[in-house]
Amino acid sequence: MTSSDERSARAWLDGKGLPDAPVTDLLGARLAARRQARIADALVLAALIIVASLAQAASLNDSWSHRLVLLVLAAATAGLLVARLLIARRLAAADRRAGATLPRRAAHAVKPGWRVVLGPAHAAFGLATLGVAVALGLSALTVSDPLVRQGAVILLVAVLGVAAGTAVQLRQLLTSPVVAEDETSLTVDVIMRIEDARESTSPSVLWTLPVVLLCGFAPVWWNVAAFGAVVLGVAALALIHARTPASLATARQAMIVR
Amino acid sequence: MIVIDAASAVPPFEQLRVQLARQIQDHTLPVGFRLPTIRSLATDLGLAANTVARAYRELEEAGLIETRGRAGSFVSAAGEASRERARHAAADYAAVIASLGLDLDEALAIARAALTATRPAS
Repeated sequence: MTSSDERSARAWLDGKGLPDAPVTDLLGARLAARRQARIADALVLAALIIVASLAQAASLNDSWSHRLVLLVLAAATAGLLVARLLIARRLAAADRRAGATLPRRAAHAVKPGWRVVLGPAHAAFGLATLGVAVALGLSALTVSDPLVRQGAVILLVAVLGVAAGTAVQLRQLLTSPVVAEDETSLTVDVIMRIEDARESTSPSVLWTLPVVLLCGFAPVWWNVAAFGAVVLGVAALALIHARTPASLATARQAMIVR
Repeated sequence: MIVIDAASAVPPFEQLRVQLARQIQDHTLPVGFRLPTIRSLATDLGLAANTVARAYRELEEAGLIETRGRAGSFVSAAGEASRERARHAAADYAAVIASLGLDLDEALAIARAALTATRPAS
């Protein structure tokens, strides 16, 4: 483990309320793998926004037929979905490699389910954000302007791509093996899952796509609805952050079977 | 929490069996509680599926858990009956000790030796 990895692992533990927990090679390796995975995932999501925007631009210029644009967009979205799946698998493989070096292995008698890892509040928020993005896309389909309708179809394809990618990542998070050697590393494992799940369901792309693809073309009521959804979403997210217990508290609760 | 130490002299299936049995007996795992699947627990603990399956099989034979087909393995209510059986056996033993006139320390030493001989240390 490099000194930089060690420093960031120490800072991570301190930030999570575990100042007495030792910085181990296991922790250093897992955090380094997560940093790389998050950068890769952010790049994939940025690529999705760019591809959707290019598809919209191609539609506007009439340079490509609408059907061809959708075909290319669907293929690109599927490719990006596969990329997110590979990122999640690579992260799980890095965890497995780190776990294979441990002389002792610890596991839960009760594996934390979605209620612990994601939590009802974040799950409801994620579903609501997805629902709003889909509703904005569907409502734009009712507009008579063909440019808006084309943008709406592109938006729906991209939104469904994001949703599928998130579902794939959450499934991987819930089913991937625990990597721990004692109570502290088991707690850390739960914290990492909680943070990975919250990162996966981050609403930024679902808030960005409608604004990037349709603002300026869509009617005023649609623009107001899109911005209103973002403002309400930010308020709801702030409320959830304020009310949800810290990941350490949730992880410690998960360690108690009943 | 379940911990498996690869360096221990106790076989991994026995480490797992003892820890699960203890958690069932002290009600950390309550009656009706669904145990992790064999494959999931084996992956989490870095064990072969056969190892976990053997521990589950022995727990089932001891009446501590029951397998309900594809629904999985659950902590059995029979665990309470096993505990009651142990209490009866202890009462019978206490009666024998009283009839033989042995003192408490010797009786406990005999019981401890018998328990140690039949249950490897975890």
